[in-house]
Amino acid sequence: MMTWRWAIRDLLRHPTRSALSLLGVAVAAALLLDMVMLSGGIERSFGELLRSRGYQLRISPLGTLPFDTEATLGDVTALTVALRRDPAVREVAPVLGSTMQGAHGAIAASLVTYGVTPTSQGIYTLESGRDLTATDTVGILLSVPAATRLGAAVGDTVSLRGRLDPQMANAGAERRVLVRGIVRFLYDAREQPSVAVALAAAQRLGGPDLTDRASVLMVRIDEASDLTAVTARLRAAHADVAVNSIDDLVAQFRLRLTYFRQLSLILGSISLVVTVLLVGTLLAITVNERSGEIATLRAIGVARMNIARQVLVQGLLLSVLGGAAGMVLGLGTARWLDAILTSFPGLPAAISFFVAEPAPLAIAAATLLLTGVLAGLPSAWRAASTPIAAALRSDAP
Amino acid sequence: MLRRLASCVVLITVLWPGHAKAQRIGIAIEQRLAEASGLAVGDTLSVASPNGGPRRPAVVAAIIEPRADPATILRKEYRVRFHLADLAELLGQPDRIDRAAILLQPGVDPDSARALLDRTAFGYELHGTAALAASSSTTFLVVSRFHRAIAIISVLASAIFLLCLMLLKVDARRQDVAMLRFIGISRRTVFIALLLEAGVIAAVGGVLGIGIAALTSAAVNAFYQQTFATTLIFSLLTWRTIVEAALLGLVLGLGAGALAAWRLVRLPPLVLWGRAG
Amino acid sequence: MTIVLDARDLERRHALEGSEVTALRGVSLQVEEGEYVAIVGPSGSGKSTLLTLLGGLDLPSSGSVAILGASLSALPDRALTRLRLERIGFVFQRFHLLPVLTARENVELPMAEMGVAPDARRARAAELLAYVGLADRSGHRPTQLSGGEMQRVAIARALANRPAILLADEPTGELDAATGREILALFRRLHADGTTLVVVTHDERVTSEASRVVRMLDGRIVD
Repeated sequence: MMTWRWAIRDLLRHPTRSALSLLGVAVAAALLLDMVMLSGGIERSFGELLRSRGYQLRISPLGTLPFDTEATLGDVTALTVALRRDPAVREVAPVLGSTMQGAHGAIAASLVTYGVTPTSQGIYTLESGRDLTATDTVGILLSVPAATRLGAAVGDTVSLRGRLDPQMANAGAERRVLVRGIVRFLYDAREQPSVAVALAAAQRLGGPDLTDRASVLMVRIDEASDLTAVTARLRAAHADVAVNSIDDLVAQFRLRLTYFRQLSLILGSISLVVTVLLVGTLLAITVNERSGEIATLRAIGVARMNIARQVLVQGLLLSVLGGAAGMVLGLGTARWLDAILTSFPGLPAAISFFVAEPAPLAIAAATLLLTGVLAGLPSAWRAASTPIAAALRSDAP
Repeated sequence: MLRRLASCVVLITVLWPGHAKAQRIGIAIEQRLAEASGLAVGDTLSVASPNGGPRRPAVVAAIIEPRADPATILRKEYRVRFHLADLAELLGQPDRIDRAAILLQPGVDPDSARALLDRTAFGYELHGTAALAASSSTTFLVVSRFHRAIAIISVLASAIFLLCLMLLKVDARRQDVAMLRFIGISRRTVFIALLLEAGVIAAVGGVLGIGIAALTSAAVNAFYQQTFATTLIFSLLTWRTIVEAALLGLVLGLGAGALAAWRLVRLPPLVLWGRAG
Repeated sequence: MTIVLDARDLERRHALEGSEVTALRGVSLQVEEGEYVAIVGPSGSGKSTLLTLLGGLDLPSSGSVAILGASLSALPDRALTRLRLERIGFVFQRFHLLPVLTARENVELPMAEMGVAPDARRARAAELLAYVGLADRSGHRPTQLSGGEMQRVAIARALANRPAILLADEPTGELDAATGREILALFRRLHADGTTLVVVTHDERVTSEASRVVRMLDGRIVD
């Protein structure tokens, strides 16, 4: 039998009907694709972001996640030395986060200030200018939003004030710093005005409360080491801090995103149901209309199996064409939906809710095709069971 | 009136009996924590700051049920309330707070009060209640916008589905229509009959849909209220939603029916009859 | 002579709105190779029902039909379908061509089902269309053909797998007199070329051309 050619011509026989069905399947497929991308997209995106600078572990105050609260780690110097003693640890990058007041000329702004060890940091990438050096305690790096708010550029001098005392109406410490470069902070939200200075400078600006303290320690271990074993070892050795691997953090993140996973599951299922209904209805009506043709085919000796296959191929064709259009449509709508969801306050700008990965996409496509075939099964069965003589007799004039 | 609030992370461990001699402070713990740890009013704990500092014994003075808050529903942390002075002392930061709420005298304009207070000192930011509410509800506004976008896609898919169904349904009446036209029934009458049929289908489908929505909404609420142990309502089916959905369904159904019927009645009856064969 | 078709004591009863209608009562018929049999009778006499039983499109309530010795009732559906494909050719009153396929593709269809290679079936389809006088219409769809042309394509399709017997149900029923004559001429040629034919018809012209005429009334063969 000339199955595919026949199925294509059959679709073309009723162009409006077929076009609408294809459009319906396309929209359902687009929704399915989006939901598949959403279901694990943000986790993958978050995991990739955390892994982007090669630090596999994060150490934060016990009971907290990195930068989730204002709690800080104490005796950071000693802790860093102790961590480096572990044979698997290659690098420890302390980061102190606090809010400080920045000023450039008459312009003042609240700035998220990171204290970093310039030679081993995993929170920013340089965009322009130059990075801080290990001994640079008078340099500062600005994010684009911070530079915009302060009206400052590379080479300008800005002042930074920490340990603000509202009752005394003054700042406990102030430091004039030179803008060395413009950087992109990996974990910043959109339009977040952030700056980076040397850790020691940030600690001094924070006053006695922040002496030898850090918000998080980022730890890079030997690639060849067993991450699980190292994590367990560090946890045992440092029971007073929280040691989290990226997978642990992603798991915590996943808990907070249960809603999106469930929503994607529900909407994905609905889109499959819509596909089943559309394809199923179209095929049921097609089989009804074609009962005379089917009876003819049976009369001239076409096997039941081939009749059923012909109907299934038509369902498959609808799914393939609708699915292909749906993939294109889905990528467009994913960008639209992503733009909405990434406007969540405080969410790192680098995170994406909708991530197109080959494996999930292949699963979505296979599910869609299988759905198309399954939707056609009842009609295929009915077509294969057409009573030949009765159908030929009752066929329209 | 100045109501001062402080928040931080504290470590809590169940205290050994021998430690209970130090001066105790009273705390209130939330119901979830009481259930998870088997604590009851009168039990003594040890509390300490994760940043170091002394441990202090604390007595559970009350078990509270925090007001249901969608912003914290997915957070697993337990909440404990301290007297402000106790917490500040525990943190080694006496006379420090994170934020304060200010109740103005009646008649004072919040914006001018904010501007005045902003000028008196720096180091803090003042936010009007309305602005704060708007800012803290941003998350839900985003979710709401996302839901609206999904709704647009769903309505689009439904409209296409409905149009397709109507087209198929009306198309299946090809011979009936040809027959009616043969015996002299006017195009207009046939069109109205098909339109009415579409309207009835859309209306009945709408009623069924609302029934399904009510059931699924109840199921969603039951599931999430159970999952998160909360009284929050997750799916709200209002009369307005029902009326809007029913009207939309009816309009879409009638529109789809009209389009499908028009495609059919404009054809000559002989064509309808012939093509059916 | 070889008996191509052997029907014995055929009965066919249908359930109709709670009661039972008997369409055929004790019909027996043998057709020899190369014979041209015309089955005639008034409407409702059971001649079309008989044809569906002879062709294995329906099974009798009692009695038996054998094609070249193979009893149709004893065959499982798959084998019966295969037998129709290989041994029987059908020509219907309403042509029943597939509208989405061209004339050539319609003729190729039974051969494709048989598994004949594309080149071979294309050549055979061209040969058959030339035989029925439609060599120049092979690329046309049924909607682009006249009634007579459609019936000739249907005949070509029926001959595609070189059947042992060709069954035709009112082959001129939908055609005007002149076109009907063309179809009858084609049947005459088929007969002359050795095809075994059983034709159910109202058309008295067929009776004059057939080698044997079987008359039916009220579900029985009366002559």
